[in-house]
Amino acid sequence: MRMGRAQFWSNVLAVAYREATVLRHDRAFLSLVAIQPLMMLLLFGWVLSNEPANVPWGVWDQGRTAVSRGLVRDIQATGYFLAPRAVEGYGAGRTLLREGKILAFLVIPKDLRRDIERGRPQVQLLLDGSDPLSAARVAGYVGLAAAAFAVTSAPDERRGQPPSAVGRGGIDVRQRFWFNPTLEDNVFFLGALAAMLLTNFCLSATSLGLVGERESGTYEHMLSLPTSALEIVLGKLLPHVGVGFGLLVYATLGTGLLFGIWPVGSFLLLAFVTLPFVLASLSIGVFVSTLARTSAQAVFITVFFIMPSFVLSGVMFPYQLMPDGVRYVGYLFPLRWYQIAARRIVARGAGVDDVLVPVAALLVIFAALLVGIRRRMKPRLG
Amino acid sequence: MSWRRLATLVRREVQATLRDRFTLTILVGVPLFALLLFGYILSTEVAHLDLGVLDADGSRASRELLADFTAQGTFRAHAFATREQLEDAMVSGAVSAGILIPPGFERALHDPAPGREPAQVRIIYDGTEAVLAGNAEGFLQALAGSYARGRGERSGADAAAGAGVGDTGDAGLDPRPAGIDVATRALFNPRLAGEPFMVSGTFGFVLSFLTTLLTALSIVNEKQQGTFEQLEVTPATSLEIFLGKLLPIGAVFTLDVVLMVLIAGFLLDVWPAGSAVFFVLISTFYVLVSLSLGLIFSATSATPAEAVQKTVLFSIPLVQLSGFAFPIRNMPLPVRWLTELFPATHYIRLSRAIYVRAAGPGDLWPEMAALFVFGALLVAFALRRIGARA
Repeated sequence: MRMGRAQFWSNVLAVAYREATVLRHDRAFLSLVAIQPLMMLLLFGWVLSNEPANVPWGVWDQGRTAVSRGLVRDIQATGYFLAPRAVEGYGAGRTLLREGKILAFLVIPKDLRRDIERGRPQVQLLLDGSDPLSAARVAGYVGLAAAAFAVTSAPDERRGQPPSAVGRGGIDVRQRFWFNPTLEDNVFFLGALAAMLLTNFCLSATSLGLVGERESGTYEHMLSLPTSALEIVLGKLLPHVGVGFGLLVYATLGTGLLFGIWPVGSFLLLAFVTLPFVLASLSIGVFVSTLARTSAQAVFITVFFIMPSFVLSGVMFPYQLMPDGVRYVGYLFPLRWYQIAARRIVARGAGVDDVLVPVAALLVIFAALLVGIRRRMKPRLG
Repeated sequence: MSWRRLATLVRREVQATLRDRFTLTILVGVPLFALLLFGYILSTEVAHLDLGVLDADGSRASRELLADFTAQGTFRAHAFATREQLEDAMVSGAVSAGILIPPGFERALHDPAPGREPAQVRIIYDGTEAVLAGNAEGFLQALAGSYARGRGERSGADAAAGAGVGDTGDAGLDPRPAGIDVATRALFNPRLAGEPFMVSGTFGFVLSFLTTLLTALSIVNEKQQGTFEQLEVTPATSLEIFLGKLLPIGAVFTLDVVLMVLIAGFLLDVWPAGSAVFFVLISTFYVLVSLSLGLIFSATSATPAEAVQKTVLFSIPLVQLSGFAFPIRNMPLPVRWLTELFPATHYIRLSRAIYVRAAGPGDLWPEMAALFVFGALLVAFALRRIGARA
C-alpha cells in the first residue's frame, strides 16, 4: 500500500458506508433476507424428512390366522405405515408395486403358526427399490417388528422409543441415538440451516454487486476514486458480514423458538467460526462477479456454485456416504468445513479444540480466494 | 394464425439460440453436471462409517463378534479403552457410531440361564447425522442378528435356539418374541442403489429449472434490447409469438432429454427400464408445461437478474417439494395436498415409474391425466399473460 494504514481503513469504511446505503434501499435484497430464512426454516424444519411416514403397503395373508393378524398389527403399531391393503397373489402385489401404489408387500405363509412352533418362522417382504432409502428403512422396521413379535403380545407403541430387540440367539441389542434420541431428521437439517442461509446470502449478494456496477457504469466511477481494488473489495464485504451475523442470529432464534432446538455448545464459539466462513463465501461471490460479463451470467454461475455446495457439503445428504472422489471434491467448498464445525458446536456441544481444523481450512480458502480476486481485479475499463 | 409467420419466428429463435455461446454451454453442461452431481449422492449403504469399539469383556466371544462386524469392510473401527474416550470421540465427530460390549458378555452368551439377563451389546449412534444413523441402525442390527445365528450353527445348537422359541411347553403361545425372519427382496433395484432414484428425479429437476430459467432469460433479454417491442409491432399475433418462442426451445430440450438419457446410461449405467420413447414423449410434454412457467416469470419481471432470481427462488422449493430427493409421503398433510398441484410432482412420479419400475401408460394414466390438466392450465395462463401485453 502506498498510503498509510489510517488512509486504507478510512477508504474501506467509505466504500462500506456507500454499500450499506445501497443495500438499505434495495427492496429485492431486503425481501430476500427476510423471507428466505423463514421459507427454509419451514421447509427443513417441518416439511422435508427422510424418515418414512404414511408408507402404503400391501399384505397377502395366506393363513388369515390370529397369529398373522397379530404380526400385521405389530408392524402397523410401529407408526410408520398406513392401513395395509389386502392383496391376493404375487401378480396383484407386483402390479401395485409397479404402479407406485404400495411401497412394500408382505407375504405371510399359510402355516406361520406351525412354523413358529417348529422354530422356523419366515415371512416374505417385497419392496419397491425405486425409492431405495425408504425401502431400506422400511425393511429395517418390518424386520425389527417381526423379530420382536410375540404371539400373545398386545400391539405396543414403539415409535420414538429407544428400540431394543432381542435378536435370535439371545443377544440383546440395545441402542441409543445420542444428541437426537428420536432420530428426527430436522435436527440434521436445522443444524446446518444457518450454513445454508449464509451460503445463499453471501454468494448471491456479492456476485451481482460488481457486475451490476459495471453494467450501470458506477464501477468506472469507483475506479476514478483514489481507492485500490483491495479497498473496494473489503469495503463491499463489510456490510455483508454484518447482515451475515444477523442471519445467524435469525436462524438460531427461529430454530429454537419454532422447533425447540437450541445450540448445545456456545453461541460465541459458533459466531467465531462463522466469521471466516462468511468471509470465504463472500469472496467467492466477488470472484464470480469478476468472471461474469453480464448479471444474468453472474446469477447463473452463482446458482451452479450454490447447488453443488449444498449437495456435496453434507448439509442435506450425509457426505460420509458419498463415493471417494465426490467426497473429496466437497472439501473444496467452505460450506463443508463450516457445516462440520457448526454441527459439532450446535448439536454435540463441542469445544474450541474440536473446531480448529475447520476454521484453519476456511481461512486457507479465504486467503486463496483473495489472491485470485486481486489477480482478476486489475483495474480495467470496458 | 399464419404458418408462414410462425415458421419465420421459429427460424429467428433458433438462430438467436445457436449464436449464443453461453446458452449452448448451459444446455449441454447443466444436464451433465446435474446428473453427475446428484447421481452419486444418495446412498443406503453404511460405507466409510467410523465405528468406535469398546470391548470391556475382552473374551473370545466378544472378539469374535467385533471381528464379524469389522470384517464387513464397511467400517473403520477405532478401539477405545474407556467409555469417556468413546464419548469424547463422538462429541468431536470422530466416530459416528459406537459399540460397547459390557463385561460378562461371554458368560451370558454361553450360559443363558432362565431369569438371568441375556447377553447384551450396546450400540450408540450420533443422532446428529440422522440419515447416517438411520442407515446404520438397520445394518448393525442385522449384523448382530446374523452373528447370533451363525454362532448358533457353529456350536451345533438347536436351530430353533433363537430368542427362546422352540422351548418346550406352551405349544407356540410363548410370550417371548417368536423371532420371525423376514426374507426381503427389493424389486426393480435389488441392490437398493441410489443412482436410479436420483437419476430419474434429476430429469425433473433439470427440466423444471433449466427450461424456466432459459425462457425467462430469453424474453427479458429481448425486452431490454428492445427487440420484443419490434416483435409486437409486426403483424404476428401473441399466439404466434408464444409458439415461436416455445417450439424451438421445446425442441432443444427434447434433444436435451435424449442427451441426458445417454449420459445417465453411459456414465452412471442407469438406463430406462421402461419404454424410452414413452419417456421422451412424456418429458417433451412436461418441457412445454415448464416453459410456460418461464414465460409467466418473464412476463412479470423487468430485468434479467430479477427473472433469474424469481426462478431460483421459486424453482428450488418447488423441486424440493415435488419429491425429487425427499419423498412426499413423509411430509405433513397440508403440504402433501399442495404438492399435488405442482406439475413437477407428477412428472417426477412418472419419470421414476417409467425409468425404474418399467411402468407403461396402462399403469400410469391417473398421473398422466393430472400432469396434462395442470399443464394445460399453466399454458392457458401463460397465453393470457402474453395476450394481455400484445
